[in-house]
Amino acid sequence: MKILVPTKRVPDTDQKITATADGSGVASDHLPFVVNPFDAIALEEGVRIVEKLGDDSEVIAVGIGEADYVHQLRTALAMGATRAICVECDQPLDPWNVARLLKEIVLREQPDLVLMGKQAVDDDANQTGQFLAALLDWPQATFASRIELLAGEIRVDRETDHGIETLRLPLPAVVTTDLRLNEPRYASMAGIMKAKKKPLDVIPVAELGIALEPRVEVLRYHSSETVRRGERLRSVDELVERLRQDVGAQA
Amino acid sequence: MRIVVVAEHDGTAVRGASLSALAFAQSVAAAAGGDVTWLVLGHQVDSVAQDAARFAPVLVVDSPALENPIAEPFARVISTVVKERGFELVAAASSTFAKDIVPRAAAQLGGAMASDVVRHELVDGRLQLDTPRYAGAVTATVVLQGSPQIVTVRGSAYAAAQPSGETHGVERLELDSAVFNCRGSYEGLKSKQNARPDVTEARVVVSGGRAFKNAEDFEQHVGGLADALGGAAGSSRALVDAGIAPNELQVGQTGKIIAPEVYIALGISGAVQHLAGMKNSRTIVAVNSDPEAPIFDVADYGLVGDVYKITPELIEKLESHAVGLSR
Amino acid sequence: MTTQSADVIIIGAGVAGLSTAMQLALRGASVIVLERERIGNGSTGRAAGLLGQLRGNVEHTRMLIDGIEIVRQLEKTTGTEIFVQTGSLRVAETPERAAEIASLVAMGKSIGFDIEHLPASEVAKKLPYMRTDDLLDACYCPTDGHLQPAELVSGYLKVGKDCGVQYKTNSPVIEILHSGGRVQGVRTAEGEYHAPKVVNAGGPWSYLNAELANATLPTAAIGHYYLTTRPDPNHPVDRMSPAIRDRELRLYTRPESGGLIVGIYDAEPDQYNMRKLPVDFDMSRMKAARDSIQVARLLEAANARFPWIDERTPMTITTGIMTFTPDARPFCGEMPDLEGLYHCAGFSGHGIVQSPTIGLIMSQLILDGQSSYDCESIEADRYFELPGYMTRTDIEQLCFDMAGSYYTKIEKATPVASGHA
Repeated sequence: MKILVPTKRVPDTDQKITATADGSGVASDHLPFVVNPFDAIALEEGVRIVEKLGDDSEVIAVGIGEADYVHQLRTALAMGATRAICVECDQPLDPWNVARLLKEIVLREQPDLVLMGKQAVDDDANQTGQFLAALLDWPQATFASRIELLAGEIRVDRETDHGIETLRLPLPAVVTTDLRLNEPRYASMAGIMKAKKKPLDVIPVAELGIALEPRVEVLRYHSSETVRRGERLRSVDELVERLRQDVGAQA
Repeated sequence: MRIVVVAEHDGTAVRGASLSALAFAQSVAAAAGGDVTWLVLGHQVDSVAQDAARFAPVLVVDSPALENPIAEPFARVISTVVKERGFELVAAASSTFAKDIVPRAAAQLGGAMASDVVRHELVDGRLQLDTPRYAGAVTATVVLQGSPQIVTVRGSAYAAAQPSGETHGVERLELDSAVFNCRGSYEGLKSKQNARPDVTEARVVVSGGRAFKNAEDFEQHVGGLADALGGAAGSSRALVDAGIAPNELQVGQTGKIIAPEVYIALGISGAVQHLAGMKNSRTIVAVNSDPEAPIFDVADYGLVGDVYKITPELIEKLESHAVGLSR
Repeated sequence: MTTQSADVIIIGAGVAGLSTAMQLALRGASVIVLERERIGNGSTGRAAGLLGQLRGNVEHTRMLIDGIEIVRQLEKTTGTEIFVQTGSLRVAETPERAAEIASLVAMGKSIGFDIEHLPASEVAKKLPYMRTDDLLDACYCPTDGHLQPAELVSGYLKVGKDCGVQYKTNSPVIEILHSGGRVQGVRTAEGEYHAPKVVNAGGPWSYLNAELANATLPTAAIGHYYLTTRPDPNHPVDRMSPAIRDRELRLYTRPESGGLIVGIYDAEPDQYNMRKLPVDFDMSRMKAARDSIQVARLLEAANARFPWIDERTPMTITTGIMTFTPDARPFCGEMPDLEGLYHCAGFSGHGIVQSPTIGLIMSQLILDGQSSYDCESIEADRYFELPGYMTRTDIEQLCFDMAGSYYTKIEKATPVASGHA
């Protein structure tokens, strides 16, 4: 079995995130970059499937971005990916163009399964997996919390607003992963040592022959208000009123 | 601008979140000129169509293939209707239903999509959309390039549209059978109506701390308030250690690290260990008998008092005010 | 701009500063604590809090034993459990380590301390989740355990507040005011705080605080990692399971929320230049990389002692910064070049458990000019103007070497032990 895991390199969102003063982006100089946490879950699931199969199955981690993306791909290799592909591209990419580039990689690699995070924690778009499935005209299962391998098929539990939905899909398919699918590992010593020797192909984006078509123009970024109000209330009635405003309005 | 809103429904009526998406669409149409139409998808959805017609004209695609929500046929139906009818803007709620199918349709329509719109503005004829990024820490104002534009809309950001006072027309569409092709099969839904959501996924989390003396009290107060708000129950480490709350409820550095929209800390002093697990929550409410408790330093709203007295009163008043996340 | 005065200004609201503030206030001193960020959110907030009373140095053992008494009082005042007396176990898998345990047991017995050899078969009964077939010896101290850092902070804070201590958070000190060789106070962005005595309890930032007064404090910031397993029904960890120290593997463990904390004193730990961290650096946001070599070594060592723990085990990794010194002992007191500036830092991974007595000692040094404890081994001026201990490069190397070898040195405790081991 061949599993392709597209990943995104994102700032560590456990850190404080603010917009730059001129609104042109996010202040990221002080931020460490990590593999998008949902993609780490996808990678972990792929590695577990391959470990369980115990045959010559492989997990291929893919990254699209600037040249130093190879650091995050080495992390993916240390976590257990079989090999990695880095598509070198210094242009900003929106989900549409990421999906178009990934489609080319899929056509080259012909995987049985594409596993990827349901969203990246930087732009929170939740689009790329669905876009890719549409472009490939493959069946899809988003927000997976359980994946079961059947003969030529998969059964996927999906986290929805109304409960756990179960889908059965023929392969190949695209599955996007939700938080509860697994807890990604920290790499072992053996994993880190092996990672250095695993293949990591770097492909210049031009080689894929895709002319980028921007779909999302970002005009500006601004930081959301995070100052705590620190308001002391005097009664339960006041609290009910605040909850009605805050909780009720957030439905 | 010709706008279509995908109507999400429960089999009989349109869901509230879709009414917010409709309100967004009506607001855009009012500013840019144009019209707004519902698109109702499903099987045997006459009553949904009738409900939707109270708000706006309705297009219906009714097919056994649409009985269960599977992205492949739903997306193809949406993109086919949008192309055939020349819609320029497609809107849907920010629900797991729409987030599954609408992006797939968007890719079939050219990929100009924005998720979770919380605000919009028409500037020089261009629709500017505010979308939250980095879990809401930053908002990006974007313009989509290409047509049609596809958006999902946060229910919290737009008040639900109101019935227009007239009954609008309902038009049934017949599509080529190939549009309904589906390779996957739906095996069912395990409803979680009786189970509380997990702390990591809930939009509201109610957590209890040392103030609660036993599991019964914890369930009655923390569980009761969580249920009243449609949220999850959480716990500080102290209660887990004392065996009062189960391990999986623990919020904190060594437990779950969460950032729900609303976090309510009942009888939690706010040790660093705990704050590390919840301080990024959007709104924090603290109830504690100690006015000096550090939890108040991170709270948006603080109420000093005995949780055993305050919580039952709060539950009762919330239930009578019908505050909650489920509509 | 504001100007305030107090008897003592304390820089840093970790356990060292908070305990010192409490003890000073209990004796009637007016105290202002200035914290650069939030209370207890530095090393204190990341600590495991293990308390092993038996040290190679008898005076240090006395300090730890007395500290438990202070904690017991705090527990009564606050009504919360701070000291969890799980007992502790030290294991030996080599003849050298077995000899070390033998000398420790002999030394403990010579001062009447409750410590016993425990055969491997008994260890296996006590700790079914631990590998024991390779053990040559072990010793057990029933009176050891751990202090819960968060509860300890709450206790210091409650008593301190009741005695009138003022705590100011998000108030980094930007200048130490002094004149004619005497300290006069400090400055923050908000204004000046005047006091004849200033305590530098800045933890990993302590050397930068010293530099504000043109002083050299030989501390360095060293990274540390521990894992916390999620509760696993196949490997239940009772909350009263003894703490374990395995010096050969550089590990310590204790129970936590149904899981197990396993920490490592790594041979090549991370080093931090505190000056290069952001002004609003928040230690609770520190995160280990998925391919951290330190985590990998931690996993490897943990697996050797607890074979059920490997990279697939559901767990949380906690990382933070410790403050090491060239001899792993803290600096407590004044230095000759500036009267009134008291240092209280460099606890080398033992700040939580040393803090109760250190607070008392600091209050004695500040108010009485001397302590009821023999402070020779923790005096702040022991490296003062000592060649080889004066540049940051030298200091960082010495501290790094100490941290890296901290758990692996063979202790030579004897029944008449004195001096550090």
